[in-house]
Amino acid sequence: MVIVGIDVGGTNTDAALISEGRILATAKVPTCHDQLLESTTLAFEKLLNAYDRPDLSDPIELHLSTTLSTNAIIEGQGDPTAVLAAPGPGMNVAELNPGFPIYVLSGSMDHRGREVAPINQEEVLDAVSQAEAGGATALAVVGKFSHRNPGHELEIEKLILKRASKTGRITLGHRLSGRPNFPRRMATSYLNASIARHQAVFVDMIRKFMVRDRSVGRVFLLKADGGTMQLEDSLIRPVETILSGPAASIMGAEALSAYPDSNTVILDIGGTTTDISVQIKGDTVFQRQGAEIAGYKTLVPALFSRSIGLGGDSEIKVVRRLESNKETDASLSGNNTLDLDIELEIGPRRAGTPAAFGGDCITPTDAAVALGLAKVGSASQATRALADFAEIYGIGAKELATKIIDTFIKQLVVAIEETYEYLESRPVYTVSEILTPPDIRPQALIGLGAPAGVFIPPIAESLGLKYQVLPCYESANAIGAAASRPTAQITLHADTALGVMTVPEADYVGKIERPVLFGINQARREAMAWATKFGKKLGLDEADNIQIVEEESFNMVRGFHTVGRTFMIRAQVRPGVRRICSSPD
Amino acid sequence: MQTSKHKVGLIFFPAFDWAITPDHPEREERLLYTRDQIMEEGLLDVAGIEEYRPEIAEDSHINRIHVCVPDASGVITESHRIAAGGTMVAADLVLTGKVDRAFALLRPPGHHAMRIVHGSRGFCLVNNEAIMVEHIRHTYGPDIRIAIVDTDAHHADGTQDIFYNDPGVLHISLHQDGRTLYPGTGFVEERGGPASYGMTVNVPLPPGTGDDGILYVLENLVLPILEDYEPDIVINAAGQDNHYTDPLTNMNFTAGGYARLTELLAPDIVVLEGGYSIEGALPYINAGILLALAGLDYSAVKEPDRSARVTPQSDRVTQNIRGLVDTLRKMWNTRKNIDPDRVFGPGPVYERERRIYYDTDGISEQQFERIARCESCSGWRLVVSGAVHDIGKVSRIAAIIIPWHACRTCRSAAEAEFENACKEPQLDHVYLQDTERDRFLTTST
Repeated sequence: MVIVGIDVGGTNTDAALISEGRILATAKVPTCHDQLLESTTLAFEKLLNAYDRPDLSDPIELHLSTTLSTNAIIEGQGDPTAVLAAPGPGMNVAELNPGFPIYVLSGSMDHRGREVAPINQEEVLDAVSQAEAGGATALAVVGKFSHRNPGHELEIEKLILKRASKTGRITLGHRLSGRPNFPRRMATSYLNASIARHQAVFVDMIRKFMVRDRSVGRVFLLKADGGTMQLEDSLIRPVETILSGPAASIMGAEALSAYPDSNTVILDIGGTTTDISVQIKGDTVFQRQGAEIAGYKTLVPALFSRSIGLGGDSEIKVVRRLESNKETDASLSGNNTLDLDIELEIGPRRAGTPAAFGGDCITPTDAAVALGLAKVGSASQATRALADFAEIYGIGAKELATKIIDTFIKQLVVAIEETYEYLESRPVYTVSEILTPPDIRPQALIGLGAPAGVFIPPIAESLGLKYQVLPCYESANAIGAAASRPTAQITLHADTALGVMTVPEADYVGKIERPVLFGINQARREAMAWATKFGKKLGLDEADNIQIVEEESFNMVRGFHTVGRTFMIRAQVRPGVRRICSSPD
Repeated sequence: MQTSKHKVGLIFFPAFDWAITPDHPEREERLLYTRDQIMEEGLLDVAGIEEYRPEIAEDSHINRIHVCVPDASGVITESHRIAAGGTMVAADLVLTGKVDRAFALLRPPGHHAMRIVHGSRGFCLVNNEAIMVEHIRHTYGPDIRIAIVDTDAHHADGTQDIFYNDPGVLHISLHQDGRTLYPGTGFVEERGGPASYGMTVNVPLPPGTGDDGILYVLENLVLPILEDYEPDIVINAAGQDNHYTDPLTNMNFTAGGYARLTELLAPDIVVLEGGYSIEGALPYINAGILLALAGLDYSAVKEPDRSARVTPQSDRVTQNIRGLVDTLRKMWNTRKNIDPDRVFGPGPVYERERRIYYDTDGISEQQFERIARCESCSGWRLVVSGAVHDIGKVSRIAAIIIPWHACRTCRSAAEAEFENACKEPQLDHVYLQDTERDRFLTTST
């Protein structure tokens, strides 16, 4: 099968064509602003031209990562959207300050999904009229604990579709995630509703493109979790396509990694920032609750990545110049050479164009160029700029350059350590997890980005790790897009005391037939079956490749008697990437 | 995004894999619904509320305040170490200024654990607050003035026992009257030992006390005492079994009442104690406490069945509480005028004998205690304790305790007593607890 991965980024659009684990062609075109389809088409055509064996008998599978939803949210271009919320008792939503209008409805559920207060139909219809009068053209409906019982959300949707709205599609909170967190569920649903129309326009364009270019068979879109979703499903859950660009790069590194089953740390060193991501036994660590975008905290599953303001073009500052004690120096060393006793700090701001490229700033790139570690730009310009700067402190250009490189490495090593300390300090709720924490520390370091060749080997040495500098870093994002596989997740909640089982993502609330006999094994079987069914509904071929990722089970005791058990099982289509051989053939 | 007024550190440790026994109130499920509520409310996303991981308390932390028989690792589980360690983290967060307030929302609880520990009583083995207090004094200074306000429905007899003669700790316990509830102690006349008379304040509340009553006690007794005492650190041992749905008590407090209590008391550190209405009370009380600590609006926190279940506090209860508060205020204000000789007798030592029952583990302890009445310090102590376990095991120990700021006379008397006691053939174990010097000696004869 031939897969084309295209990542439409802010500046460039990258494309890669892979087949049977090999990269057959890559292409890069500048992104035409606001012209996603143009950029995609251009990159696609350039890629096929670069591919010199155009015997494509099978249809191409296209994996597309775009900035469409991300930009719509960041630039505030989403449709005016109102959230109808049933918060029930608890935190005061008026204090939430969420950045979108909330119309509060009565009606509430408790933590086990039991109805505490019913919804009021008139109130719902009033809220819809008010929201529409206020200019809202998109609606989201979210209840507290709707992941435990989506009944109210479904009832409200039905009512609105029947009696009120001109809007065709309403986002319901429980369909987007089976995880708790009402404010995040509201934000996720709000964003989803606000970009749904943009997504529909985009999907339409892609369909037209497919009609025009018959070589494309199926189209998948990249998600923040590094997996893919079918084009059609993005109409229901467009919010999942946010932040797919950074995810694509991480997936590219995962696909090309020489250490596929190890604990690794991936450094994506760019001009302005370095992104740190962490893999445990080959799988990238996720954000604890979900993605954050434009100040919105969401429940969108997303890869964990820490961005440090440290890159090839970062600003260099002298933070401390120690007065060298000449007497001591003289007596100790017997000569007059000065110690290089200035301390530097690199980043977090970008300086500008490096001197090596004709700019007027000195940057880590200039240090690497001046020392002959990187063969880009003009070494003499870089050296001259460094010498001018170094002169103030009475040192030479080479010494300064070495100091810059050392500082860069030191700062990155600290950032890596902090990243692991953060991940290791994430709270856990069992005695066994406190006593025997999993070993997440890296065995290998993987580097991508232009400056990676300079910095990765010494960082790896300093951390005592094996390392790999990815050769095709320029198109790692497109390779990652092509290598990605579908992902989908369901949450099963079963309460045998109530005799109720819920799978919110699949709109399912049902009776447990024989609660007394319902144990952990049956809960697991049910969860696997629902994940398979849900996966198939999403058109996933890999619906047989299901795994349980989280599970909880508790005895429920009331008055010294066991009255039932409660289960939470999270099952997913096993994520992962197609392995790609990193040497071009 | 929502921002809290006060920076709050939350140490949440529900110990989802630990129970006393599968059907025991102190079981895996206890904080499950609390977790569900806190997560669903999104409280951990509030800017200014940060979650921290507990640490594990070492023997050395526990031995500063407890004498465990035969030793710490012989009686406690890892879960107890994590609960105590999490409480210590709460103190560190506050005392290093990382947060303004901290909430150790963890289990198992500790306030029934006394200084001598033969086993578990009232679901408690080691005293989380007491271990924390010694951690504070060792790390941040021995003269930090500490106030513990225990609002669990059961008398905090363990905490009272540990700090009974400690002039550095003010201990106020609000609880359901001991004549009607375990452990059957905590009466107004229990006011502390000879070195700290008046520093133990017990407020036995009549069954049926509601929000009005507890908040009345807080505003008219607890807050004025704290204002007078001026503690550096206020610790709230926040048991949640005063709630109207609690299966073990007969009180009438609500989640909103707890939140208001937290707001008024403004504690630096809150530590969960009891509370076994795991569905009807804990999720709402804990959400309320966390919101109140953060300075956020808690007025919408309300139990689903509150309007149907909560009746106004009866006039009889109200009158009873007003009288109690009047008495206790007078007792606080006049505590320094009382001649200790009239309370503890005129001799050079004060002696008492007690029976202590360990309900959870079925142990009966007989304790003899002798406190030296010293002009220059709070006086060294000897405790001789015999325990009969329901499985027939018998153990007999002696513990010699050197207090903070012990004078040289008391110190050498205590050390001499330790040497003598070590020679006593009838004692299985002899311990010397020298908290100030972080020294814990033990000899088995």
